[in-house]
Amino acid sequence: MIARLAGSRVGRVSSATRTQFDRVPFSARVILVLAIVGASVILNGDDYVTSVAVSVATYAMLGLGLNIVVGYAGLLDLGYAAFFAIGAYTSALLMTEAHWNFFATLPLAVLFTGTAGAILGYPTLRLRSDYLAIVTLGFGEMTRITFNNWDYAGGPNGILNIPWPNFFGFELNTQADFFVVGLALLAIAMIFAQHLDLSRLGRGWVAIREDEFAAESVGVPSLRLKLLAYVMGGMWGGLAGAFFATRIGAIDPTSFTFQLSVLILIVIVLGGTGSLPGVLVGALVVVALPEVLRQFADQRLLIFAILLIGMMLLRPQGLWPRIRRKPKPFYGLQEEEAGDVAARILREHQLQTEERDRRRAAAGHRVPQQSDALLEVEGLVQQFGGLRAVDNVSFNVFREEIFSLIGPNGGGKTTVFNCITGVQRPRRGAIRFDGRSVLGLRPHVIVSRGIGRTFQGIRLFKNMAVFENVMVGLYPRHHTMTWQAMLHTPGERKDELNTLQESRRWLGFVGLESEAGRLATELSYADQRRVEIARALAAHPHLVLFDEPAAGMNPTEKLELVGIIRKIHDLGITVVLIEHDMSLVMRVSDRIAVLDHGVLIAVGKPAEIQQNPAVIEAYLGREEDELDVEKAKGA
Amino acid sequence: MALLEVSDVHVYYANIEALKGITLEADPGQIVAILGSNGAGKTTTLRTISGLLRPRSGSIKCGGRSLVGLEAHVIVAMGLSHVPEGRRIFNILSVEENLNLGGYLVRSQHGLVKERKAEVFKLFPRLAERRTQLAGTLSGGEQQMLAIGRALMSDPKVLMLDEPSLGLSPILARSVLKTVREIANRGTAVLLVEQNARQALAIAHKAYVIEVGRIVLQGEAATLARDERVQRAYLGGFEAVGTG
Amino acid sequence: MGPFLEYTVIGLTVGSFYALVALGYTIVYGILRLINFAQGDLSMVGAFLGWTLLVSFGLEHLPIYLALVVAFVVPMLGTAVVNLGILQFAYKPLLRRSLLAILITALGMSIFLQNTAQLIWGGAIQAYPPNLLPSSGIFIGDVHLTYVQIGLVVISLLLMGGLVAFVQGTTIGTAMRALAVDHDAARLMGINVDQVIRLAFVLGAMLAAASGVMLGIYYVQIQFTMGFLLGLRAFTAAVLGGIGNIPGAMAGGMLIGLLEAYTTGYLSGKWEDVLVFGVLITVLVVKPTGLFGERVAERM
Repeated sequence: MIARLAGSRVGRVSSATRTQFDRVPFSARVILVLAIVGASVILNGDDYVTSVAVSVATYAMLGLGLNIVVGYAGLLDLGYAAFFAIGAYTSALLMTEAHWNFFATLPLAVLFTGTAGAILGYPTLRLRSDYLAIVTLGFGEMTRITFNNWDYAGGPNGILNIPWPNFFGFELNTQADFFVVGLALLAIAMIFAQHLDLSRLGRGWVAIREDEFAAESVGVPSLRLKLLAYVMGGMWGGLAGAFFATRIGAIDPTSFTFQLSVLILIVIVLGGTGSLPGVLVGALVVVALPEVLRQFADQRLLIFAILLIGMMLLRPQGLWPRIRRKPKPFYGLQEEEAGDVAARILREHQLQTEERDRRRAAAGHRVPQQSDALLEVEGLVQQFGGLRAVDNVSFNVFREEIFSLIGPNGGGKTTVFNCITGVQRPRRGAIRFDGRSVLGLRPHVIVSRGIGRTFQGIRLFKNMAVFENVMVGLYPRHHTMTWQAMLHTPGERKDELNTLQESRRWLGFVGLESEAGRLATELSYADQRRVEIARALAAHPHLVLFDEPAAGMNPTEKLELVGIIRKIHDLGITVVLIEHDMSLVMRVSDRIAVLDHGVLIAVGKPAEIQQNPAVIEAYLGREEDELDVEKAKGA
Repeated sequence: MALLEVSDVHVYYANIEALKGITLEADPGQIVAILGSNGAGKTTTLRTISGLLRPRSGSIKCGGRSLVGLEAHVIVAMGLSHVPEGRRIFNILSVEENLNLGGYLVRSQHGLVKERKAEVFKLFPRLAERRTQLAGTLSGGEQQMLAIGRALMSDPKVLMLDEPSLGLSPILARSVLKTVREIANRGTAVLLVEQNARQALAIAHKAYVIEVGRIVLQGEAATLARDERVQRAYLGGFEAVGTG
Repeated sequence: MGPFLEYTVIGLTVGSFYALVALGYTIVYGILRLINFAQGDLSMVGAFLGWTLLVSFGLEHLPIYLALVVAFVVPMLGTAVVNLGILQFAYKPLLRRSLLAILITALGMSIFLQNTAQLIWGGAIQAYPPNLLPSSGIFIGDVHLTYVQIGLVVISLLLMGGLVAFVQGTTIGTAMRALAVDHDAARLMGINVDQVIRLAFVLGAMLAAASGVMLGIYYVQIQFTMGFLLGLRAFTAAVLGGIGNIPGAMAGGMLIGLLEAYTTGYLSGKWEDVLVFGVLITVLVVKPTGLFGERVAERM
């Protein structure tokens, strides 16, 4: 929320007044614009114009719903018309068969659409996007055909004589009436959408769009968020469907074709995916333009197709692109001393540990002792086809130690990390963290258990600012519900403020507070690595896994890295490191394990490892090798 | 004028400068080792020479002709063959089909293709035994042999190998490098990127050490092998300092 | 036993057409990870080009063998040009962009083709000359198998066989298979990847066009919307067989044809599409790699 504050163009005022004033702009703008447009259309008096305006509003509503699915979560849904249909038929049937009031049918319309979305979405949202597109297309067609074949729903003739809505005795039966209702719904949808976009959910969606793998691995429950977007978008489509049914008075399967799904997609692509004003522009173009250019009405689909392709090639961001303001971070937050920050984090960490121990004891579990291993890897085996990448590897990592995993390239080290963090499922073996098994859990669950990681080759969210990247890492720690985000409740605002504060602390911890507002890609490689570390630490892990953190760094940067690792250690966090820079490893580690060709060949203190002949042989090759080849040279 | 001349090449990944002015040379029959820790830029160097990456500035010449800006498949036609890191053989194709693809440029000359395949089989008899087998079912060492054999099918003047000993047992690695020696002895210039410093230096004539995109050491292989700085780069200088 | 055999015959005939279109999807997807939405519409274009030659240009009055050869070859060439155009102007510029952008463009291309066809040939149903070929045939039990049916299936099998021979037997064909594994490694062999991709598009288009002409001959009636459902069924077939897997696409096509025939025969034509989509969704959820395993480029 602070991001919103800092991004607006209002002059600097005291934070209290600013909070109140800034809470208003977007919502006020929306209501104002829509009110003006609404008034001018209605005052115009021409029923035809009003009717077109209602159509625009309907398409805009559908566009807003699809926008959440495609624009926010990045899922290509080609069967959106199905939700429109389910909502329309539900409402129509209840009104004609059971004589319900229109407004009473709305919750059911939304419920059925949401359920349908959940049922289809749950098994299919894990598919890759192109398959998902076809699946949703199939779903759209299946829905239409089912309604077409279903006699109770009127078959090909559909449902006729749907009554007007009745609002406490006042019957809505003119275009102007519907227009007002439509505008009201639009305003609500836009405000909710905006709140979602700027909330924790919105960040999560952007993260998933940018790099789903990284998002999942830093704690964002990607499947759940995708499902949320799909279902919410669907429910909104259902609502629009109910509205449509009562407005037109008759519905049949030809209103819900694939062509409609494509048209809605065109609406948001033309306007700009993810852009709210863009949806309005898109709806205007798609509905009003064929009315104006009557002679081309027959070819409207052709023209739209050309526009679609042209947009993708020339102006993919749309006619009114979504503006990502570069916010000034941390506005309004209190300053904290560097010492304070570390102490505060340490204290929180200790509190967390105590809380967890208390809970475990209360539940009758054994409370882990300091001397217990934090991470136990036992008999780990991983195989890719015929290749045994990890061969019966076992080791323990104790609390608060710095443990390094080294070995020649291709030795299986990253595979071990991937098994620990849930990215892969090992063929055999056990992995226990803090006494509990983490095998088979999804990566974001493992993050919430207390394991964080960075990646070989940096995986930051490129189009987000530095501090937003860290805020994504905080996803598991804050618990606002979706509805709170939509309504932008005080509870949610407080939560966002805390998240911002936390992200600032962690950036300060790695020494990057001054770069907080910059785009992630603008930073140097070493700085990006530090942001990644801050992001991993943001979830307050008890164990962090760093995969080749020093790669691509010069000696000065490596020294700084060692400093950060030591600071992390001082916080009481256990560190496991994969590294190739031997001097760094020797300097910073308490214990080292060596992995060669998937086999653990040595574990011990740095000095022992350096003297270990098996290790030396693995890295440099045997002395005899040299001699042999020397002989060959001479021959 | 050397056969392969790379001069002050700068390469960028997005905004990050991966190669900061690389200069190196190779002559026919010479084995040139390129050493350095992970992420230093060794693979990037090879990929730039073979055309998979474009340099932002600098020159790359083979036999006097510039390679910069040319597409990778054109560079192969000019006599440069690159065996990429991780072998990257076509696992759903047979050994024979992989080799045939290696001879893609001369595919219309069936006799020539047959001849070259025979040469490869002479060099790697194990491959001959498995010629109809799917490449994906071969062992690591056999896949490496296939990758090299495939690269030889275009009869290259310059052969570039990216970590051929990766994932191989020491014995196999030794055998592969011995074969590399034989190839060089026939007159091919060889660029060898290796993690196994000792073995690489043992067969190379000269070597370059790359760190963070720059060449920090270069010289005769034998001299470099005794250089303390090389030892330090690979085994942490034997100072035992932990956190205690 | 009667109906079952009849449905089977119909299913295999139509299935062979689906197989041809499925091959186009599978080859392109294997190499580029791109669903060429326009693939089904290419079949429609082929059908209409054939119609134009036979009916509009009156080639139906030529000696039958000449007419058939022209009716197949010209549409195949014409459709190949169209597909190359799509590749060059729509797909190539976008290959490095997000998956979403490519999918939307592919979709746009499909709609573009459909509506352009409507513009050129009109929205009404057109008909292939119904008496172009004799309707005589042979009897197997109760089932009447026309020579036309046999002929069309034979042509389909020949085309498919030709493709397989090309892909297995020639070096360029092998290069195409290699592209379904690793593009960079292919480049390092001296393979001009762009050229081979173009070849894949040409082959896919030719197969689709042939299937379109055959559909015209078999069903007589064609319409500019025929590509949509055809494309979806063919894509389902490709996925069923394992995307990128050439024998898989052929098998998948036959299976979908049979499924369709049995559904229409035993249940009703109304539920045909629902069943096909149901199969698609089930396969993707339960075994996304298809019956025979997928072959998609890991590195592009």
